[in-house]
Amino acid sequence: MTPAREAFALPLTFLTVVLIGAIRLTTPVAIVPPTLFSLVLGSILMTVFIQSGTLDPSRLVGGDRSAWANTNGLLALVALFLANAQVISRLTPDSGFPALVVGALFLVTLLQLAAAALDRVRCLRVWGVTLLSAFVLKFIVVATLAGPADRPMARALQALVEGLTFGNFSQPVERAAAGYLTFAMLAVYLMGLVLLPCLQHSALSQTKAVLLPPDS
Amino acid sequence: MSETVVRATGAAVTIAYAALIAWLAASQPQSIAEVTGGLAATVGAYEVDAVSFGEGRQMFLRDEFEAARSAWSRADPAGRDPRTQFYVAYSYYRQGWGRLSHDDALYAAGLDTLNRAVAAAPGGRIVVSDPELQLHTADELGAELRAGQRREWSDLNPMRVFGSRK
Repeated sequence: MTPAREAFALPLTFLTVVLIGAIRLTTPVAIVPPTLFSLVLGSILMTVFIQSGTLDPSRLVGGDRSAWANTNGLLALVALFLANAQVISRLTPDSGFPALVVGALFLVTLLQLAAAALDRVRCLRVWGVTLLSAFVLKFIVVATLAGPADRPMARALQALVEGLTFGNFSQPVERAAAGYLTFAMLAVYLMGLVLLPCLQHSALSQTKAVLLPPDS
Repeated sequence: MSETVVRATGAAVTIAYAALIAWLAASQPQSIAEVTGGLAATVGAYEVDAVSFGEGRQMFLRDEFEAARSAWSRADPAGRDPRTQFYVAYSYYRQGWGRLSHDDALYAAGLDTLNRAVAAAPGGRIVVSDPELQLHTADELGAELRAGQRREWSDLNPMRVFGSRK
């Protein structure tokens, strides 16, 4: 990995995710830090990334690297952690029953990812699908059910959902641009994940695997 | 460029960017003008447009409060100048003052503006020595605004109609 990627591309990409994910296009506009629950999930996600080889922390921080290289690596790791938490926080509905459901969905998915011990490609694929599913849930399904209804059928459906959730379904109204902004944030985040220094299997270990007898 | 220079520059830019995000979260700006004004104030480069401020003051003295606030919003677009914001809060007070009752919404807006002005003032203290004003400090103005919002038995005192606007 080049020093420029480590010093600029990685931390700035993830900090941009943190910034975009913090913007809530409500009235008035708010800059919201990640929730405590998303910080917990973000730390589990860091473990999943390391376990799957998506992230090799020894290529960012280590005793064989210079002080400046370790500083850059540490900043990149902190930025990644904050971006993880911010992405989860942004894709989780703000309150009520939907927040509980999506929060549980994230927790279960991360625990499954940790237990499955997938490789880098599969891990990124599953995580990408999870994020897109959460995006659809929050910005299409929940936004439609909790937003203003202009037709009698829509109002009836909203009343039904509110009744089923004991009035815990309504969400703060955001401008339509919020969905596009979040989609852009997801694109930047996934691009950042691809840029992460992944675990490199050495040629020696592959050779050893070939030379082992079939019955051992 | 040597690797050390690249890495040191990257670390500095990253820390500055992170500090900017933390500042945005702490100050909650509502417009680009507030962002740029706040950043300029952080480095001591923020200046109020004296001409617009003077125009606003003249309108304020003629009881044209909304026009005055419009002029002051040009003078202090980021809402970072304690003196200008003190005048804005004062305009809400004078506009909301009534002989029989006060306008709670305007008083609340005044108090909100005054709190932001106090937060931006060095040491949290604002003193304005304008002979046209009767309240010269943020403490006095804040007390008037808070008293106007309270519901008390003294509100029913008929002598209240002889009170005067400050």
